Amino acid sequence: MANERVRVRGLSIHRPIIYGNSAVVLSQKERESSSNPDHTHRWTVAVRSASSAPDSGIVGGADDISYFIKRVTFKLHDTYPNPSRNVDKAPFELTETGWGEFEIGIRITFVQESGEKAISLYHHLKLHPWAAQGEPEIPPLEQAIKYGPVHSWQYDEIVFNDPFQNFLNLLTQHPPTPLPKTKRRPVPFHLANATPAALEASKGGIPEFTAAMEKEETDKLEEARKQVIAEQERWREKLIEKEKELERLQKEVDAMG
Amino acid sequence: MAASAADIRSALSIPESSTPAAPQPKKSTAAARKPEGISRELYSLIGPSAPSLAAQLAKPRLKQKPKFGGAGAKVRWELRAFKNPARSDSLELRHWEKVTPDGPSEYPFSKYSVQPNTYTYSQDEYTRFLEDKEWTKEETDYLFSVVQDYDSRWYIIHDRYEYPNDPQRSLEDLRDRYYSVCRKLIRHRPWAGDDLAKAALVSSFQFDKEREVMRKKYITSLENRTPDQIAEEEALYVEVKRLEHNERKFKRDRESLLRILAGIDSGLPDIVEDDGVPLGITGDASNTKAKKKKGGQTTDLDSPATPSVASLPASKRPHSTKNAAYDSQHCITRTEVPSTSVATKAAHQPAYLRSFKLPTPKAAIAPKISQSLAELGVKHTRLVMPTRENVHRLEALMEATTSLVETKRVVDKVDYDIQVLKTRLGLREQSHSANGGEAKIEGGDSMDIDNSQVGDAENEEGEGGRGQSVVSVRSGRSRKHPRRSMSVSSVDTASTRAGTKRQKRG
Repeated sequence: MANERVRVRGLSIHRPIIYGNSAVVLSQKERESSSNPDHTHRWTVAVRSASSAPDSGIVGGADDISYFIKRVTFKLHDTYPNPSRNVDKAPFELTETGWGEFEIGIRITFVQESGEKAISLYHHLKLHPWAAQGEPEIPPLEQAIKYGPVHSWQYDEIVFNDPFQNFLNLLTQHPPTPLPKTKRRPVPFHLANATPAALEASKGGIPEFTAAMEKEETDKLEEARKQVIAEQERWREKLIEKEKELERLQKEVDAMG
Repeated sequence: MAASAADIRSALSIPESSTPAAPQPKKSTAAARKPEGISRELYSLIGPSAPSLAAQLAKPRLKQKPKFGGAGAKVRWELRAFKNPARSDSLELRHWEKVTPDGPSEYPFSKYSVQPNTYTYSQDEYTRFLEDKEWTKEETDYLFSVVQDYDSRWYIIHDRYEYPNDPQRSLEDLRDRYYSVCRKLIRHRPWAGDDLAKAALVSSFQFDKEREVMRKKYITSLENRTPDQIAEEEALYVEVKRLEHNERKFKRDRESLLRILAGIDSGLPDIVEDDGVPLGITGDASNTKAKKKKGGQTTDLDSPATPSVASLPASKRPHSTKNAAYDSQHCITRTEVPSTSVATKAAHQPAYLRSFKLPTPKAAIAPKISQSLAELGVKHTRLVMPTRENVHRLEALMEATTSLVETKRVVDKVDYDIQVLKTRLGLREQSHSANGGEAKIEGGDSMDIDNSQVGDAENEEGEGGRGQSVVSVRSGRSRKHPRRSMSVSSVDTASTRAGTKRQKRG
């Protein structure tokens, strides 16, 4: 169909996703039975839909996002055999074992209807528990086991501008599950909000992204802007005052010749 | 003699109503009492069917004393002294005041003494937004000070406006300049509230010079008509009315004729009727009114040029709620397509992640911006939830912070200039006093000179402090205070020095 391949101008459509990883410490038995006895953690890196299915054991992933994502490529550290791993169908995740943190390259390829190029992003593989200021970055394993699984997830939105009509139809056939309005589970920890309270709120189970988090950040930014503007107001007054003083002094100097 | 209902029934041979005639005697007794406000003769004529208007007919009882202040309680007044808070001197006048249980009150008229929000601008702001080839900064400063002095009372301002080499400003010129400067300042300064309030504030400073001039011209011409012209106008108006009347009559006749003969409508257009303006009655007032109503283009000139607030931001395309719900369900955002843009492949913006489009500060001031933001607990490089809304907020925040950093930079520069001038002044003072010291050659003088040198040293230290203060916002501010007091003290020493010098000379 010819008109199917027409771009819908002035329209942008986005899909909320999360990417990141969860990690658990391997037990002694598991370590012995694996081929790499020096690996201490098992981790899963994934790209998922943002909202979580009720009572699911994972962060996010309520919707199957394979209707617009064709493939996700995870680029692991070069020390892994065959470091570039393609995942061609949902769930777009990869489970591995390892002993260290590193940057994972994630390349998202869209379905052919989209006519869009793949996008690349990075995720820092997080194995060790989030630490408050002053605590050691990497606690001993025995302590880390007590901490439980480590979650590091980033919310984001994939934006398509002026999509093709048929791609738009495809997207609108799969409306994303909206984020829950209120907090039901722990709040995912994020470095941009690294307060002790946030650290505390992230503990105790599988975290979940909520609309309340968005609201909270919106309010925080707005509050900051108000403060900056109030500060700016003060400084402007100070500036005008100083300019007047300067003018006065200049006159004085001129008068003295 | 009034016929009862029973009589009527019997006369009309209607069967007796089920309700007994019991209330009748009651009614008659009630009717026997004449309601107030109706004369006895009239009441006997109209009988019990007295109109319900009776109550309204009741005459006002003038002879009764009006009751003021409740049940006869005496109101006490007292001559009290009061101060008008609007006065800068502490003049005390006295006035009579009602004695209230809660003691003497504030001056009750002070609530009407509202100070308008005055706008000031920095040199930088002036050069960026407020340049005007008709106006110099000095004259604009002068204008603002006069406006403030006379509390935006424009006729007085215009009367008192005396700028050297004044290129004859009209009242409209002054108002136009003042309001346009205010508007520009509001528009360009970061705004803490929402856009609607900003638009409302901007529109409250709206001033259309052309229109104002037109309006005044029009009024002048209206007031300057000669009696002949007025008479002619009136005659014309009557003539128009007459013609309209004839036309209507003709149409009516024709219509009825056609309907009678052929049963169709005439098809003539309706004649617009002028609303009931009293026709050509003598008297200028009614005449001007009539004229204003006639002249369609002049009707709204009297109202100030304030476009309705709501229409400003509402220009964005309206969406039905159903569409909005659909869009939000599917995460769709619609934007106006510029009609001029040509659809090309190259122009297409590829798919991206929202976090890719986070605003980045200019490299030169990036460290200061991240530091300012860090103090507010915001990291501008990452967002927890980079939604559209939040990215916009971050952009706004960054913009505000950038302008804050810029302002601080300018403050530092001005501060530096002030210090330089002060040092120069100080040096002059020093040389003067040194001269004085030579003239006198006294032991005490050398101490004075020492003092002044200490003052200068302090000044230099102050400059050093300024240089460091750029690094951090908070520390900069805290450091500023002692520095200022330092500079004040140095001024003080200079003045005392001058004082001693004078004494010695004298």
